[in-house]
This record gives sequence, structure tokens and C-alpha cells, in this order.
Amino acid sequence: MSKVIEIKNVTKEFKVLNRREGLKGSLKDLFSRDYKIVRAVDDISMDIGQGEIVGYLGPNGAGKSTTIKMMTGVLEPTSGEILVNGNSPYKNRSRNAQEIGVVFGQRSQLWWALPLVESFKLLKDIYQISDKQYDGIMELYSSLVDIEPLLHKPVRQMSLGQRTLSDILAAFLHDPKIVFLDEPTIGLDVAMKAKIRTLIHALNKERNTTVILTTHDMGDVDALCRRIVIIDKGKMLYDNDIEHLKGFFGSYRTLKIRLDGDMKTNAETVQKELPQFSVDSDDEWISVLVDEDKEKVIDVLAGLQKKHNIRDMKLEEISTEEVIKKIYEEGVE
Amino acid sequence: MKRKGFGFYLRIYIKILTQDLKSKMSYRADFIISTIGMIFTNIAGFVSFWILFRNFPSINGWSYHEMLFLYGFSLISLTPVQCFFDNNWSLRINVYNGDFIKYCFRPINLFFYYQSEVFDVKGLGQFAFGLGTLIYSWGKIGLDFTPLILLKMIVFLITASLIMIALQNAAAATCFWIQNSFYVMDLVFKFKDYARYPITIFTPVFRFVFTFIMPIAYIAYYPSLVILRPDDVPILSWLSPLIGCAFFWLSYKFWMFGASRYNGTGS
Amino acid sequence: MKLKKYLSFTRIGMMESLQFRLATVVIVIGNLLYLTIVFFLWKAIYASSGTDVVNGMTFSDTLIYLVLATALFNFMEMYTVWEMGRSIQSGKIVLDLLKPMDYRKLLFWSYSGSFVMNFFTTFLPTFIIVGIVTGGAIPLKLNLLYFVISVVLAIMINYSIDFIVGTICLFTESIWGINIMKQVIVLLLSGATIPIAFFPEPMKTIVLYMPFQSIYNAPLTLLLDGSPDMEDVLMILGTQLFWCVTMTVISKLFWKASLRQITVNGG
Repeated sequence: MSKVIEIKNVTKEFKVLNRREGLKGSLKDLFSRDYKIVRAVDDISMDIGQGEIVGYLGPNGAGKSTTIKMMTGVLEPTSGEILVNGNSPYKNRSRNAQEIGVVFGQRSQLWWALPLVESFKLLKDIYQISDKQYDGIMELYSSLVDIEPLLHKPVRQMSLGQRTLSDILAAFLHDPKIVFLDEPTIGLDVAMKAKIRTLIHALNKERNTTVILTTHDMGDVDALCRRIVIIDKGKMLYDNDIEHLKGFFGSYRTLKIRLDGDMKTNAETVQKELPQFSVDSDDEWISVLVDEDKEKVIDVLAGLQKKHNIRDMKLEEISTEEVIKKIYEEGVE
Repeated sequence: MKRKGFGFYLRIYIKILTQDLKSKMSYRADFIISTIGMIFTNIAGFVSFWILFRNFPSINGWSYHEMLFLYGFSLISLTPVQCFFDNNWSLRINVYNGDFIKYCFRPINLFFYYQSEVFDVKGLGQFAFGLGTLIYSWGKIGLDFTPLILLKMIVFLITASLIMIALQNAAAATCFWIQNSFYVMDLVFKFKDYARYPITIFTPVFRFVFTFIMPIAYIAYYPSLVILRPDDVPILSWLSPLIGCAFFWLSYKFWMFGASRYNGTGS
Repeated sequence: MKLKKYLSFTRIGMMESLQFRLATVVIVIGNLLYLTIVFFLWKAIYASSGTDVVNGMTFSDTLIYLVLATALFNFMEMYTVWEMGRSIQSGKIVLDLLKPMDYRKLLFWSYSGSFVMNFFTTFLPTFIIVGIVTGGAIPLKLNLLYFVISVVLAIMINYSIDFIVGTICLFTESIWGINIMKQVIVLLLSGATIPIAFFPEPMKTIVLYMPFQSIYNAPLTLLLDGSPDMEDVLMILGTQLFWCVTMTVISKLFWKASLRQITVNGG
């Protein structure tokens, strides 16, 4: 599988202005400035092959958007080398742009007041897409989503879900080799999320497009990614399959129980009783993360049974979310 | 990927422009109010001129109608920057809130893409006003009207606009480095008002400043001398076209340089 | 306590003003540029007119007047229309309307900080410099007191007018056209660009009946007249007071009515 992105020992530093506090501070700022150097990305290396869907994860401020900006040619690395499709994206921004698609955060790149089809036609000209290619991809799109009603709607009249869908379609329009998706499912309802995930999956399969997906939603990761890269404080924490990662935490089990009454209050009670475990809850279940190397689930369950009336229970592997949370908190051994 | 020639850019430009016009037309009240605002501004400018000349018959050897000629000339040369480069005014906002980044992902020239998004129709009203003033004063001064003179007019009008565009570009580009570029743009925008006066009113020192340091003199004075005083044209007037192109190119490079240093931290 | 609430705005306004150091430099350059042009322009005008005194003003009279007018402009210009317009466009205005303070007052006090700064950084130095350069041509007697009162009234009139224009932004999409129009009209009709003494007769009388001259012409007249008639002083201040009250009432009513319109129709 050919390497479509190569990142070699890349570091990015920023000079940040230190604003002083208060009125006196503002006066001082008038005469002299105080800088500090922030390392947003610290010696990161990775290789990505054609057709992969990579989940790019990390807490806020970890350095994800900075890396993506370097891959798209907006930023230049302070040191190290990035090659996208064999070119330096920063030095050949325009040429690189032809081969990539970007859906960046919540900013739509479509023309706000125009019907979607007009945006598409404009993009067709900008990216010099041939008529044949254009018709082909529009056919593909109609087979994947119900695109007809959307085509004649101006973007500003669309719901968030429709806008996201349109942005994704626009990003894939010129058949790029790589598409960068930054938090594509944020703010969407469950049904829409599923639709978007199916679309991304289908497009990746059809066109063998490499997809770099930045997200905080584990549902996205579970549905789409086989490989994940985790970054925090500018440093690379993990780069491998999800299964592999779960393997690290193989001894962990998630014990889910259902109790009477409000799950949240119950969860808080349980957490107080079992301070050594991580306890979570959603609408239906209370989840207790048990490390079987330390305590057996059976014992924990027995302990809980003595104090509560357990209505229902189930046992699961550690969830992706918990894995990621643990990595953020503790790193990888 | 085919090479992107002039034809390509021209076609794209027209398409993007048309879309902007279409969307602007839908905001009708706004369109009308802005146009009225523009007309009032021009009228006010004209009125101040007129008031001044009620009191004085001539200034430094320049008659009322000759000054009016300069005025009209400067209005026309202002039109291209007003119409085609209006997006410069939004530059600092786009940079500030991070929207600018979406222009960076397309495989076309960044400057071109950014400027093509907006076309300011109000500028046409100004053009009409300027043209009217020019024609009126032309008649009153009694200048000839030959094809050669017309050609000269066009060339020098383009020259003058290039200078104005260059100045505005450079001013807008400062937003990549400083926070309050609005004031710089405002300052440069006022240059057009100062351009209405012949630089003969200044002492030599200031003449130098306004020719070589802050090239206000090229916005209307030098180029129009070719028409107004054809027997006594200074070298600088003939050099204007070159200077116009040079300044434009420099400002373009400056703008692109600023854009390349943009790191999207607005988001 | 209410006053504390308002004063905290002043404090923040001052801090923000200090961060505008580059903006200050640019503004100063802009002023110097403007004043240079004005100086030479009027010098040429007076030179070509043949007499020393035109419409009761000598060259230095006119110059002092215009310099101080510029200083006043810098001091008083609040860019209210911009602020309001942008706030309306971005929808931020909804948040401001929800605050437990009358929006009009809130906006006014948020400018108070920059007022204080501007007074010390622009007006006062200019005033002192002019005094020195002209060898004390500005009288320093009771007229200063009248001047201060006059300026306070002028600020309020200016603010009300700005606020009315800003309210119009509730109905339109663009801010620019309206703002420029307002600025140009106010500056012209208030005597800031050309002293009202120069206006030809029918215009002069009309202008004196408008609120605009109360913003610039009134305080400047009071400042420059060392030994005024008490009657004249009272006339001027009285007129200002009248306009102050009138414009405040109009702006409040217009704002209320417009808000109602908008909240009923949504948007």
C-alpha cells in the first residue's frame, strides 16, 4: 500500500504574546512586549497509506488542528518534514489543494447564498473536473444519499445535518486522494450521525480515498476507523489499531447494571461505595469499569447486590471511550 | 491537471462574481441604502468643493473647472478598487475569526479567489458621478477631444487606479501582522480625498513626500497633467504607468506574503 | 451601586484603549497628514485671494479652527454606528439587550473609557501645541469653562445622532453606506471641514438651524472667542441644550419603535 502521507519528526512552535493583567499591566504592555514559545506539536512521526481511514484523537489543544494545518499546507513545520502525495504541502499549496478535500470544523466552505448545485458547478470549474467525471460522481452521490431535494436549496437554508452532508459531498467531488474531516458529526442527532458515517464509509470504499478523521465522538471511531492515532500536548501517544489498543486493556471489563430510580444519582452513590473504580452512567445503565487483574467482576457484583436491588445487568468489553479516556489520563505502558 | 491560464481565471472570476451579485440583489433594502449613501457622499464632496470656490476664484493657478477635472478624475480612478477589491475591507475580520482559512484549501491563487468573492455595485454610482464631473469640466475648460487624447485618458486612468489598488492592498495586508489594521485602511482610504489637489500647493519638501513616500500625487495629479497641461508634462507623469504596475505588483507580493504567514490561530 | 457598574465599563474601556497603541500612532499620522494638506491648501487659497481676511477670518484663524476641529473629531468620534451595526449583524445585540441596563446608556458608558484616554492623548496635546506655536492665540479665560460645557453637550448630541443612525442598521444589512453618509454630512454641515463662515448666504442660515453645527462649530466658536457677549454665549449653549434634549428624545423613541418592529417581525 503506497504511503500517501509521510510525517517525519515534525515540530511546530508558536510565539505567543503574554498579555499582562490589569490597568497597570496594560500600561506596561504599551512599552514592551513579553513573548513565550509554545510547542504545539512535538516531534511527531507517522505514515498513512492510501485508502486508510485514520481516527485522529486527542484532548482539546492537543495539537490536532495544528498537525492537520501542516498537512494541508497552511502551516509550515518549525522542523521535520511532511510529504503529502510526495510533495511538501506548504511549498506547493495550490498543487496540493487539488489532491485533497477538507471539511474543517463548523465552517462551511460552500457559497452561503447559493443553491448547492451552483456551489458544485463552481467547484467543478475550480478543480477542473471533466463533465464525464462530474456526472459520474453525481450518480454515485444519488445512489448513496437522497440528494435531489438538497441540490436546489441554498446552503443558508439548510439544517446543520444537511450542511455537513453537503460539505462532505463537496469535499469528495473532485476525487481527491485524501480528505480531512474535522469533527464532522458534531452537533448532529443520532440518525444523522449514522447517515454521515455510512456515507463516509461508502465513499472510502468506492474511491479508495484516504480519510483523516478528527473527532471526539467515539461512535465515529467505532463505526469508521480501524487505525487510531492519539496525540496529547503535542506528543504522539499511540498509533495502531483499535483492537490492539483494547488489547492493552484486555483485563478490563465494563459491568453494566440497572437500578431503580434516577441513574445519575444512583451512579454517584455507587461511585462513593467503589472509589477505586471509574463509574459512569447514561440514560439506561450504570457502568463500572473493573480491572479483573485487581478484582473479579463476580465479587464486585456480589458487593453491589448486598446494597442495591439490581434489576438487570450485562458484561461488556472495555469501550473505546474508556480506552481513550484512560490514555488521556495515564498514557500507554 | 491542466495549466491554469488567463482564460481559466477569467471564466472562474465571472462565475464567482455573478454569484456574489445574485446574492447581493436579494438584499434589496441594503442595496438601495448603500447606493444612496454613496451618492450623498459624492454630493457632499462636490458641495465642499463648490463652497470653497464660492470664496476664491482660483488656487495656485488652477481654476475651478480644472480642480473639478481632478476631482472627477480621482473618482473614476477610485472605481476599480471600490468595485473589484472591496473584499479587502473584510480581510481583517476573516483573519480574526479564522474564516480566512477556507480560502487556503482551493487549488487557485489565494489573492484572486479572495478578491473575486465580492463585487461592490455602489462603485458604479461613483463612476457615473466622476464621469459626469469629468465631462462637464472637460467642456468648460475647452479641451480637445481626439482619439489620441481618449487613449491617453484611459491609460492614465488605469494607471491611477493601479496605484489606489496597490495602496489599499498593502493597507489591508497589514491585518496579518497587526490588530487594528482598520485604522490603516481608513487612513489610506482618505488619500483619495487628498488627491484632489494639485501638489503645486506644497513646498518642495512635501512635494517629494507625496510623490515618493506616500504616493498621493499619482492618484490623480500626475496622470491628469498629461491631459490638462499637455505642453508642460513632467517626466514623472509619463512614468506613472510603470510606477502603477510596479506598485501593484509589490502590494500583491506583500499581501501574499502576509497570507502565507497566516497560521489560522484565529480559530 | 449603579455608578460603580458604569465605572467598571470606563476602566475596561481605558485598558482596551491602551492596547490600541499602534492604532494611536496611525491616527496621529493620519491627523498630521490631514493637517498638512489643510495647511497648504488654505495657504494657497489665501494667497490666491489677494486679501488677508476672508469672511472675517485670517489664515491663522482658519487654521487654528481646523486644527482644533480635527482634535475634537478624534476625541469625539465613537464609531458607534460600526459597533451597533456589527452587534446587530452578528446577533450579539440580543445578549446586550438582555443585560440589566438600558442599551443606549450601556453603549455610551462603554465609550467613556476611551473618552478619557482620548482627551489626554489627542485633544490636550494638540491644544497645548497650538497654543505654543501660535504664541498664545487661544485665549485662556472664562471661555475655557464655556468650552467644556459646550463639549459635553456636543458629545451627547453626537452620540444621539450616531445612535439614530445605528438604529437604522436594524433594518439594513450593510453598515458602511449609512455610516459614511452620516460622517460626511455631519462633518460638512457642522463646520468641521470648512468653517461655516465660508458658507454662501442661504446655506449659512439653513445650516445654523440644524443640530450639526452644535457639535463642532458651537464649542469651537466659544473656545476661540476671548471676550464674548454673554448674550451670544447663552444663545449658543442654549441652542446646544435644545438639540441635546431633542436628539436624545428622538433617538430613544426611534430605538423603542424600531425594536418593537423587529421583535414583532422576527429577525
